[in-house]
Amino acid sequence: MDPRMCRKISSSESLPDADNIEYEVSNIIAPQESDDNFMLDGSPEPHSVTWLDNDQIDDLDLNLDPTNLCFHRVDSADIIYRNKKKKCKMVGKYVMGDVLGEGSYGKVKEMLDSETLCRRAVKILKKRKLRRIPNGEQNVQREIQLLRILRHKNVIELVDVMYNDEKQKMYLVMEFCVGVLQDMLEGSPGKKFPQRQAHDYFTQLLDGLEYLHGQGVVHKDIKPGNLLLTLDQTLKITDFGVAEALDMFSPEDTCYTGQGSPAFQPPEIANGAEQFSGVKVDIWSSGVTLYNMTTGRYPFEGDNVYRLLESIGRGEPAPPPPSLGPTLGALLTNMLKRDPDLRPTVHEIKRHSWVKARPPLEAGERMVTPRSRRSDELHTSTVIPYLVERHYPSAQEYFTERDYRHELGDGGSRTLSTAELSDAESRGRKRRWHSSCGRLPSCRLT
Amino acid sequence: MFNPDINDYQLTSIITECCGGVAVVYSALYKPNNQNVAIKRYFVDKTKENASLIQQDILTRKELQHANILPYLTSFVHGKELYVVSPLMTFGSCRDILDHYFQEGLPELACALVLRDVLQALQYLHKQLYIHRSVRASHVLVGANGGVRLSGLRSAASLMVRGRRQRHLHQLPPPDADNTNLMWLSPELLEQNLKGYDEKSDIYSLGVLCCELANGAVPFAEVPTTLMFTEKVRGSRPQLLDCSTFPEPCLDDSEMKSMYNTDSGVGDSADGVMRLRQLYAARKLSDTFHHLSEMALQREPDKRPSATQLLNHPFFKQIRKTDYLPGLIGRVKPIKPDLSDMSALLLQEKLSEMEIEKTTEWDF
Repeated sequence: MDPRMCRKISSSESLPDADNIEYEVSNIIAPQESDDNFMLDGSPEPHSVTWLDNDQIDDLDLNLDPTNLCFHRVDSADIIYRNKKKKCKMVGKYVMGDVLGEGSYGKVKEMLDSETLCRRAVKILKKRKLRRIPNGEQNVQREIQLLRILRHKNVIELVDVMYNDEKQKMYLVMEFCVGVLQDMLEGSPGKKFPQRQAHDYFTQLLDGLEYLHGQGVVHKDIKPGNLLLTLDQTLKITDFGVAEALDMFSPEDTCYTGQGSPAFQPPEIANGAEQFSGVKVDIWSSGVTLYNMTTGRYPFEGDNVYRLLESIGRGEPAPPPPSLGPTLGALLTNMLKRDPDLRPTVHEIKRHSWVKARPPLEAGERMVTPRSRRSDELHTSTVIPYLVERHYPSAQEYFTERDYRHELGDGGSRTLSTAELSDAESRGRKRRWHSSCGRLPSCRLT
Repeated sequence: MFNPDINDYQLTSIITECCGGVAVVYSALYKPNNQNVAIKRYFVDKTKENASLIQQDILTRKELQHANILPYLTSFVHGKELYVVSPLMTFGSCRDILDHYFQEGLPELACALVLRDVLQALQYLHKQLYIHRSVRASHVLVGANGGVRLSGLRSAASLMVRGRRQRHLHQLPPPDADNTNLMWLSPELLEQNLKGYDEKSDIYSLGVLCCELANGAVPFAEVPTTLMFTEKVRGSRPQLLDCSTFPEPCLDDSEMKSMYNTDSGVGDSADGVMRLRQLYAARKLSDTFHHLSEMALQREPDKRPSATQLLNHPFFKQIRKTDYLPGLIGRVKPIKPDLSDMSALLLQEKLSEMEIEKTTEWDF
């Protein structure tokens, strides 16, 4: 269960002395006696209550001494859950949701367009933080300029830009995505995808790159961490912070600066070349990305950035493992040619036999699904609880296990599974609905 | 065949303005065979939406052939506008009929006739792997002989994506000018989570259409969009209003008005609201009608019956072969060429010319 969803209440009464390390494991309140609400009214009950927040609960768990571990048996009916208050906040016409990710510049949060009900993601940039990052403000400006003109199925769409001068914040409203390939790789067995899945993503990456290069834009930071997936598994290239728009009237694609991520940099940048072909940088990085997605490894590794760049600059890439098969192996070797001129173009890669034929899903292989930060497999909108808070002010803040089991309609005879418990929040919400259903009498409950 | 040439058509009246003012629908006479047609004229320059949606609408309609789906006849460009020709649906859309003649909703038998035809259209669409995504009274058109056709194919989506059959879709339909289309959409479609939605989403919209046709008002119309969303997600179901569902009038007028959306706008008196309220409380809709709408409006998409299953619902057993929709909605006047409308039309031409002058600014 996500600790943010429910907070548990612990009674200090049953907590033993601090020197005698014996903590209560279940974060439970004193048994609920006559009155359901005796805790909540602040009534002069003999038990004083300690409110633990999530961090403290985590600490408790860490400090457990296995030898002195003692479980107090507590009847599940005595547990009271508290719904965390979700204060509904609007920015422009958008309703803010939970944090999706965090970067050096600030946070990425989920949002809901209150007019179209479209889910969005917003990159919140703090001017103060941005100034501390080398080229920070400049990169953001460039990203906005580029994203405003780019429009392709496989390139992230910048929907809206808002500023708050008072708070020194900038909001970049983007398409909503459910996952980053990087996170999915990290959570999958062997840190790689089945070839079938890698193929799906790689072909979409090629479509996106073909468009970008056709528009004279070089991304220069292609890597799994910058490839997002939407709900319907459409790949979106994101983070144009170090991208560059080539001179439209120049026949060359010469670039002078590279600021991408080290492991994905080509030898020419690792060696500090003063100028290089921009397009071929993306080809190399896409090669490393494909290598990484299919093997779970990198063609070059190093203990630190310096060693890594040295090995990229001097050495040959680790040959693709034979288990990948000869066609994919050949494609990777081609894309990872030291000489940029020998690397294929996007068009040539698209004609390669591994790209043209969709590999089958081998026996025993399973497609990797976007990881969820929460207990919610479906990636349901995190804005909903905030909307509930806004529209149903009488929302019940506390509910007991019994209330909850009553909701389930089984009369409390069954023990709850963790999955059900993790759903407690949504049940709680539904419950509160009962008290407020008077608002729309033309509707009825399911 | 219809010629794609403006000179073959004589515009006879303005039927309606639509798509948030970027298109006007005219009735017109096709001169070569004296046939009445409807022409939708898009001011392509004014559209914020890209022309690809109009193109999508045409392409989908070209592909689909069904007695209950509005066919596409031809289209052409004249001046700065795009003209799309369809057969004339003499009684207009069900939304127009409700607004002008049946504010309290259509008689139950008329609802049955309309819903049956809409379900036949959906049955066909779903078989062709399309999801309509905007089943609403304004997209249900009634022809001269009472035939009902479904329009609004611009927001339809195919389950075939890049040659592969998808089980679910995840994207919202393209937004309409004022985002009203959201009121008819299913909870799972609005939720936009990994589960996605399928053709059962149209069945939910059909349930909303049941309420719209029977009550005259659209459920959720008077509440904020975000509240409509949470209500649906939490499983609240719109209802048909009659003596069995209508509560005792214990609330004050203003509250009633906002809740039942009986306030249709300017000039609506408290008496009008009172009258509607009494009408609802006095009437009794059949149990099968209630059952049909409840089945269609279930929160869980898998529990909703398919279009085919709903066509066999006992609700439709009340229809006799001799039942004739125009007879049931006798007060509705068919669309006729109207001279006063034509003056409006001429005025409109002038206005659009004036606008051209206004916008001819040279800015270097």
